[in-house]
Amino acid sequence: MGTIRMDRRLFLKTAGATAGAVAATQVGCFKYFKKGRSTAADAKEIPTTCELCPNKCSAIAVVEGGFIRKLNPNPENPKSRDMLCARGNAAVMQVYDPDRIKQPMIRVGARGEGKWKPVSWDEAFDYTAKKLAEIKQKYGPEGTLWSSTEGFQEKFFVNLGQAFGSPNIVRHPTLCLASVNLAYGTTFGTVPSFDMLNSKYVIMSGANRFESIITPDTMDLIGSVMERKAKLVYLDPRFTVTAAKADEWYPIKPGSDLAFILAMLNVIIAEKRYHKDFVDTYTLGFDQLAEHVKQYTPEWAEKETEIPAKDIIRIAREFADAGTRALYYSGRRSSWYENDFQMRRAQAILNTIVGNWDQMGGMVPNASLPKGEFLFMPWDDPKASRVDEVKTNFPLAAASDGVYLKLRENVLSGKPYPIKGWMVYKQDPMNALPDQGKTLKMIEDMDFIGVIDLQMSDMAWYADVVFPESAYLERTDPVEVMPGIWPAVVYRQQVVKPIHDTKPNLEIVQGLAKRLGLSDYFDYTIDQWVEAEFKDLPIPMAAEHMKKHGVWAATGEAHYGKTLTPDHRFVTKSGKIEIFSERLQENGYDPLPVYNQIAQPPADRFRLILGRVGYFTHANQSNNVWLHEFMPENDLWINPAPAARLGIKNGEYVNVASSVGSVRIKARVTEEIRPDCVFMLHGFGKKSKMQSLVYNVGASDAVILETAWDKVSGNAAFHGTFVKVSNA
Amino acid sequence: MRNTLLSLLALAALAAPLSAQGSELKGKFFFKKTCKTCHTAGKPGKEVTPLTKTQAQWKAYFAANKHNKGKEKLGTGTDLKPEQMKDVMTFLIQHASDSPQPMTCGG
Ligand code: SF4
Repeated sequence: MGTIRMDRRLFLKTAGATAGAVAATQVGCFKYFKKGRSTAADAKEIPTTCELCPNKCSAIAVVEGGFIRKLNPNPENPKSRDMLCARGNAAVMQVYDPDRIKQPMIRVGARGEGKWKPVSWDEAFDYTAKKLAEIKQKYGPEGTLWSSTEGFQEKFFVNLGQAFGSPNIVRHPTLCLASVNLAYGTTFGTVPSFDMLNSKYVIMSGANRFESIITPDTMDLIGSVMERKAKLVYLDPRFTVTAAKADEWYPIKPGSDLAFILAMLNVIIAEKRYHKDFVDTYTLGFDQLAEHVKQYTPEWAEKETEIPAKDIIRIAREFADAGTRALYYSGRRSSWYENDFQMRRAQAILNTIVGNWDQMGGMVPNASLPKGEFLFMPWDDPKASRVDEVKTNFPLAAASDGVYLKLRENVLSGKPYPIKGWMVYKQDPMNALPDQGKTLKMIEDMDFIGVIDLQMSDMAWYADVVFPESAYLERTDPVEVMPGIWPAVVYRQQVVKPIHDTKPNLEIVQGLAKRLGLSDYFDYTIDQWVEAEFKDLPIPMAAEHMKKHGVWAATGEAHYGKTLTPDHRFVTKSGKIEIFSERLQENGYDPLPVYNQIAQPPADRFRLILGRVGYFTHANQSNNVWLHEFMPENDLWINPAPAARLGIKNGEYVNVASSVGSVRIKARVTEEIRPDCVFMLHGFGKKSKMQSLVYNVGASDAVILETAWDKVSGNAAFHGTFVKVSNA
Repeated sequence: MRNTLLSLLALAALAAPLSAQGSELKGKFFFKKTCKTCHTAGKPGKEVTPLTKTQAQWKAYFAANKHNKGKEKLGTGTDLKPEQMKDVMTFLIQHASDSPQPMTCGG
């Protein structure tokens, strides 16, 4: 048979079997799939778009006899660089996962007991609509919370919450990248791409790009470091794969990255190594910055960061010498400390003064593509203000996304008003939020919980109704434009019919809307929606092209320097790149990044730090049959010195306790972490028995993480928890 | 069509006080439905988004009540009602280029 079989063994071999092999993984996959593209005579190849993480890589599904045999990368998408990672390949098992939710279900036992009654879609819709209507009657529409995670069909869910009249839509950014977005947005008026393909000198604070995959940055960094010999300086308390591939690795004292950046600014300005012409023409507030950073000497920063002053000085000089092709990389999951916004602001300012804005090898404002839009009737604005009081507490944060942890605090306190209904789209707050005990309390306080998901996540396990969504390979989604240096538009189309009694989210939303009297707002089909979007694409025969190729991308040379004209107005308050931000000052924040020491753990405790690997991003991926083989159980990284002191042995179980909870987990005694930190991966220790591979296996970080957030953006601060570790 | 495209906002909106808040959400809808039919890249009215002007410039623009380089009043040839015009104005001001929440295409 012409098709290469994609069985589990081959998958593991191809995708690399160890955490340390992820860089090689992609190269391996790439070569294998290039060779493996011949298919059997009856096979169909259907282009679509991966949904396993936010990168949206283009894929080609090979379908034989109605089954998805395998997925290939689609070379036409420049962002995915002809790559599908391990997670992307394992999307096949999302469809054929024995643990999937196979029909709608209504809870019959106590919440979390796991007793379910399979019901018809009508029954699930009727029941949910009745409960939501009761809550609306009693508490108003604002008594309901609608939380969702990123995805092409998320907008339909958000629209249902809004049409219902609730102001309480909460999306994922404040659990992920809100601080980086706000910091770069405040400085430049936009969040740029980082041209890793052409950079000569890259500094990364903890953004573990060789394992935590972002396209095209990961592949371009591999190319830059391995082939072009660009220099990579990497700061991380942990010796990650990125650290292993870097030219220099500094196990920086956690929470002190801002001190390192401020000292770099100090050196570059004192030695007049900044890009004077650029600074004079395009920026505002350089003189205030120069004065402000005088206090932040390399010798001072050495004490804060534990990075020698002589290295800080040398790195600052090298960085400035690389000039427009030097990059301080922004990172993506920027939910670390309570000063995260200011740390990202300092990065943005450092990038600014070397003049790398809109330059080859620097930060490049994203190009976009026009797309049509299906216009539907707008609903009335909600009458109540948000329960998380974003406007008062976080005046600069994206109000439409909400601030998740503040929201949970307010819901638990019942102030400013009660929330009694919780609708969730494909998110697992039980694992995505810190302090699972608080999330459980919030669940307890609800009169009704409805969850739409593919899998019985821990959140779904505690719901009253679960609606099974079709997997991405079973459905067609809205068209998505991906802005970037090479902008692209991608299309996700149905590859196989749903194998269980599931529906795409739009149909679930429509089923509920009908019973809630909101049908007028959802009176369209996915095909009508997509056709409208195809209309303004800059492609001849757009619909035909997208169905045949799944992607269209701008080709040719990247365009740099479009914003580098003296009359260009940046989308900031002043119209310039704002080194000094009046808007921050007006709102009571530091207009220039000020360093405040963060607390360090006492001698008998460790700081818990988090991170990702190439094969798991979301908490639910540990239950994917293929991915699970990479790591059947998570463990706790602990340095040998404290391990010896505490009598902890490699591979033996330990208890890890914080002020909010404790877990039992295997110890991994390793030199690859600082003695004052411990590390664990996310996605284990599940409460849902329908996550059978990870139910009660390993530990959930959410149980022990404490609640804290960045003051400006409201982004969760996940790296501020101190834990005690003892033998179990 | 140029006339229709360019006359995106109803004159009647000026009857309402400029400071009164409309609905941003509805404003986005009416802006897209009416204004964007012409004010799109490659079309006669050229691309217009909330970012085309600053908040002060949008306020002055609505106060002046002029459209198509001053040749006609705002809203000429459209069926936008006064409150809908106010919604459009609210949307554009809220997401202007110097606003705290700037927005490109309104999407
Ligand atoms: S990086 Fe991997 S999981 Fe993410 S979209 Fe691409 S192939 Fe899918």
